[in-house]
Amino acid sequence: MENLLYIGKDIPRTAEIDKVTGRAVYIDEYKRPGMLYGKILYSQYAHARIKSINTEKAKRLPGVRAVITGYDIPDVRVGFLGDQAVLKRDVVRQFRDEVAAVAATSPEIAQEALKLIEVEYEPLPAIFDPIEAMKPDAPLVHESDARGRPLRSNILPLPWKFSAGDVEKARQESAHIVTDSVTTTWINQCCMGTSGCVAEFDSNNNLTYCGQTNVIFGAKQRIATYLKNIGLKGKKIRVFNPVVGGSFGTKLDTDIYEFICIQLALKTRKPVKIRFTREEEFAVLPPRQAARFTVEQGCDKNGLLTFRKVEAILDNGAYTSWGATTPSVMMLPISSMYRVPNVSFQATCVYTNNIYSQAMRGYGNPQAAFAVETSMDHLAEKAGIDPAEFRLINRNHPGDVTPMGLKITTCPLEQCITTVKEKIKWDEKRGKRNGRGVGMASLIHVAGGARVYLSDGTGIRIKVNEDGEVDVLSGSTDQGQGSPTVIAQIIAEATGFRPEDVNIVFGDTALGLWDAGTHASRHTFVAGNAAVRAGEMVKRQILEMAVQYIPKLLKRSLKQQKKKNPDFVEPVLDYTMVDSPEKLDLKNRMIFPKDAPDHPYFRTEVGKILTSGLHVGVGESKAVVAEVFWDPPTEMLNAEMKGNYSCTYAFGTAGVEVEVDRQTGEVKILKLVSAHDVGRAINPALVRGQIYGAAYMGVGFGLTERVQLVDGKVVNANFRDYKILTANDVVPVEAVIIEDPDAAGPYGAKGIGEPGLVPTAPAIANAIYDAVGVWIKDLPITPEKVLAALKAKGD
Amino acid sequence: MKKEMVFTLNNEEVIVEVDPKWTLLYLLREVLELTGTKEGCGVGECGACTVIVDGEAVNSCLYPVLEAEGKKVVTIEGVASSDGTLHPLQQAFIDNNGVQCGYCTSGMIMSAKALLDKKADPTEEDIRTSIAGNICRCTGYVQIVESVQQAAERMKK
Amino acid sequence: MKGYEYHKPQTIKEAIGLMEGLENAKYIAGGTDVMVLVKQGKLAPANLVSLRNVGELLYLDLQNGVKMGARVTHTAIANNEFVRKRYSALPDGAGVVGSRQIRNVATIGGNICNAAPSADTACPLLVLDAKVVIVGKSGERQVPVDDFFLGPNKVALEKSELVTGFIIPAFGDNTGSAYIKHARRLAMDLPVLGIAARATIKVGGSEARCKDAFGAADDASGIIECLEAEGLVFEDVRIAMSVVAPRPMRAKKAEEAVRSKAISEKLLEEIGEIAASESQPRDSIRGEAWYRREMVKVLTKRALLRSIERVIRPDSTAFPNRLW
Repeated sequence: MENLLYIGKDIPRTAEIDKVTGRAVYIDEYKRPGMLYGKILYSQYAHARIKSINTEKAKRLPGVRAVITGYDIPDVRVGFLGDQAVLKRDVVRQFRDEVAAVAATSPEIAQEALKLIEVEYEPLPAIFDPIEAMKPDAPLVHESDARGRPLRSNILPLPWKFSAGDVEKARQESAHIVTDSVTTTWINQCCMGTSGCVAEFDSNNNLTYCGQTNVIFGAKQRIATYLKNIGLKGKKIRVFNPVVGGSFGTKLDTDIYEFICIQLALKTRKPVKIRFTREEEFAVLPPRQAARFTVEQGCDKNGLLTFRKVEAILDNGAYTSWGATTPSVMMLPISSMYRVPNVSFQATCVYTNNIYSQAMRGYGNPQAAFAVETSMDHLAEKAGIDPAEFRLINRNHPGDVTPMGLKITTCPLEQCITTVKEKIKWDEKRGKRNGRGVGMASLIHVAGGARVYLSDGTGIRIKVNEDGEVDVLSGSTDQGQGSPTVIAQIIAEATGFRPEDVNIVFGDTALGLWDAGTHASRHTFVAGNAAVRAGEMVKRQILEMAVQYIPKLLKRSLKQQKKKNPDFVEPVLDYTMVDSPEKLDLKNRMIFPKDAPDHPYFRTEVGKILTSGLHVGVGESKAVVAEVFWDPPTEMLNAEMKGNYSCTYAFGTAGVEVEVDRQTGEVKILKLVSAHDVGRAINPALVRGQIYGAAYMGVGFGLTERVQLVDGKVVNANFRDYKILTANDVVPVEAVIIEDPDAAGPYGAKGIGEPGLVPTAPAIANAIYDAVGVWIKDLPITPEKVLAALKAKGD
Repeated sequence: MKKEMVFTLNNEEVIVEVDPKWTLLYLLREVLELTGTKEGCGVGECGACTVIVDGEAVNSCLYPVLEAEGKKVVTIEGVASSDGTLHPLQQAFIDNNGVQCGYCTSGMIMSAKALLDKKADPTEEDIRTSIAGNICRCTGYVQIVESVQQAAERMKK
Repeated sequence: MKGYEYHKPQTIKEAIGLMEGLENAKYIAGGTDVMVLVKQGKLAPANLVSLRNVGELLYLDLQNGVKMGARVTHTAIANNEFVRKRYSALPDGAGVVGSRQIRNVATIGGNICNAAPSADTACPLLVLDAKVVIVGKSGERQVPVDDFFLGPNKVALEKSELVTGFIIPAFGDNTGSAYIKHARRLAMDLPVLGIAARATIKVGGSEARCKDAFGAADDASGIIECLEAEGLVFEDVRIAMSVVAPRPMRAKKAEEAVRSKAISEKLLEEIGEIAASESQPRDSIRGEAWYRREMVKVLTKRALLRSIERVIRPDSTAFPNRLW
């Protein structure tokens, strides 16, 4: 690619300096005059009828400004399927159900007030196992749907069914077939900054809402719909972000506490803040959903995959959020990881009285990839082929169209696999069964946006001030991934300014153009594409001004010199070198003729041109401003769940070397190599940061993390018992950036937010099998499970 | 019953009325409005509230406020020079992508500072043990360790 | 949360006097347990009597055994070179409690008085035959630490009595000890179980020949073969277990069964089996009973081997972490 000044460089995160000095304002610090603090009372039962609620004592507590229950607010449904109320008035269906809420002058008083609310319950039969819940005689979690029509089953009416080719025929023609059952459990996203928001109405009942959403326009829409439904139609709403302490999926949907906060603000006519405690963050926030898979795969005698059939059961919990839509992404590995001509997939989401689920980094892909990639090793063994070789034989190729209709553009999967093989010393270490082993797994993920809404677009506005500051208004958000740096690099490169000249405002619906959300690893790709286009427009405008003003400025300067010094000999200049914008370029704030970049007279600092362009007589002033709304050329999934829903796809491979303690069942990771196709790394240090962080999350998913539910109740709602790895739990991880610039990406970049997480857990499971010969396909792989399997095997 | 308490905060003497039931974190955040110190869990399990008291890193969320009486407390706000020049640790976190969402960063830097103040040439194990009480969900700790290593290098020069 | 008064006595006498006179009072040392309980509403004292300013509680005397004040922090124990070498189990335990921040303030006295079944310094003190020094209004008494733990969070203290320190007897060069914390993570965790051991072996010089076996061993069998070949004999042994009973406990039958016996693979297996039979583990969210019992067997053997290694090559810090 042409000579780039900022793309591909480890530009430091100077834009986020306030995070190292303690000045960054998260929701914790965001305050408004007269602000009250909200707290929520949750259900004490997994399933019960509310017989009575008495809030009188709570209301009398000094400092309490409002206590509300479901009877105090309109009975309006919210959520993806409209299956829950904001405050539950008749029946609670899970432990975390919101029963009442308090606003008070301090969080401590609000908390005290909760203790004074008396709720009488009548327990109802509850169901916690999705398999049991699917049976015809199972107790119903919901008696009726959002429209009040009676329900006869706990199975959700969602259309997750996909088929391509002829699986039956392919099965009969296969030389080798394996079938496996795989289980994954609830995972908490564990953002270090807990959830929270501040809602504030003005005297016209217009709402200013400071929230952590990574989908500001989606949140605004959901809030607008809610306000309309409670009788506040046509009110103006502004949604904006504070600094956000991590997201990982939690901020995709508008959570119930957010509607409660809005209700408390309405009721009290004061700004109200709700901020979760860590315990709430664990016990209340919807986690990644638990899933079970049955996966069957076959190959021919040469090892070419013939078919793949996957059935999934998702524990939806008591209500429906984005967790129920993750099969749309589970489809990616199931239909399109490696070349597999015949595929069928069916996912069933089932209501239970467990905690309901949301999205988490990878959006179903980590669970499905765990099923597919452990099955790949099983099948490779049956076919007598080395698992790395087996993957290479079946790898995807550029130009492929997968059974799901994904159009593969760039695809350096071969390089990912061979790099991992080499770095993990695959051939030397594989197959020893001596307590040490190596394993690998790969992934495919959307990397060029994801058309999950009718628009997958994003808008960006750039204005350049006369002093040469570049102000950027983005409709996207930053939750810590480093967008202020990456988007600034892209804009600096495209405009010809420096990254430090760029100020970006993210996450404010009052300022940004519409954006589909900073999700699906899409931000760098989609916002980057918009930024490149807008940046080029800005540059063009400046160069057009330069054509006009370089000669003027120069002639004036020469004239002045002549005036000062009569002996001054005017140079003979060829002004045709600067007579069209095509002949000029702008880099690093300097405008110059392309043919003579160091030209002693024509080379001009951009600020001079901007000032000149702005300060000319009446009617001719020009300000530099550009605006682009870019929607990638992709398709939504059709009724058959087919369609090219992303511009490009990312591939990657994780290789793991483990040591298994045969007496304790403990697994130690000796090495983890995570090689990822990123198209092009805009900022390699930040790309590695995404890979490291995601790989660690993948190790947690594989080995240590689980939200433990006992009869629907979260029993490990703290960092002591929810086992996130610490800095002492060293995972020697090497992040390998594989570059194969994609024509559709900004400077060739693909998305890399989620991929690092996806192949880690299956690679660990495969390595454990190589080390000691047992398959653990029930996550997390605890020492208990390993030891039990070893004992069952007779070790 | 509130009591008057004197202590040194970021090199300045502070006289403040405190309620005995407060934690040091409460005093810092809610009363003195030094909000760089975060409350990530409130029970000593995440390290986001780490401050340095008399040279030792402690969880301010579990530190009874009256125990700070007469002591020297340093928070993230007191790490940079008074002219605003960043401490080498702060600069290294910026330069090495040791910061992502930033919520753990204040505590991380305080834990690392307590180490470097005592040991100019720490091993990787020293660094990891010093920050093992600071949970980070974004980084996998790799670039945080690199940041601390680089800061130690720069401070030796 | 209701408030409390916070008292900062300077002497033991003053502390006991306050405790005697105050309603609903509780001692607080490092506060890393007490403050959590107070914040969670599980403890609602009207008065906290802080021991952090009582100078008499802060001493570490290493002449002829260990005399250690109750206010000594986990960090101070974990970092003391002499204690690490001669009373290894104790820093093994103190060094893995919580996090650096916790260890900087949490005290040994607090860890023992909190009497969690999972306390990381309890097993080490048990195998080191420690005595608890207790002071009350009527004077001082000493209680073996084994008699001090009564049950979960219950200890043998009368109202206003205060643990002021611990006494550990001196051991010869032929004694080594170790504590193994079995946890899911290497920091910020409670043990699934903990095992401490102390081994005093009969030495005659031949043991030195096993130095290399410890250094080279990829698994335990090489080490044990050497110990067996050299005819090494256990003179005295202590084994203690945590989390596998309502209180940290000694595996006394196992100890008894190996006293004065020659070290062998079979014997080590046997000790583990006996210790496991003495344990009474339960299922909990942190681990399953069968697994804990199984780990008692495995870790008892490993803790003993580690203790022996510390006799044979006291200067080694690089103990092979794989012993299977």
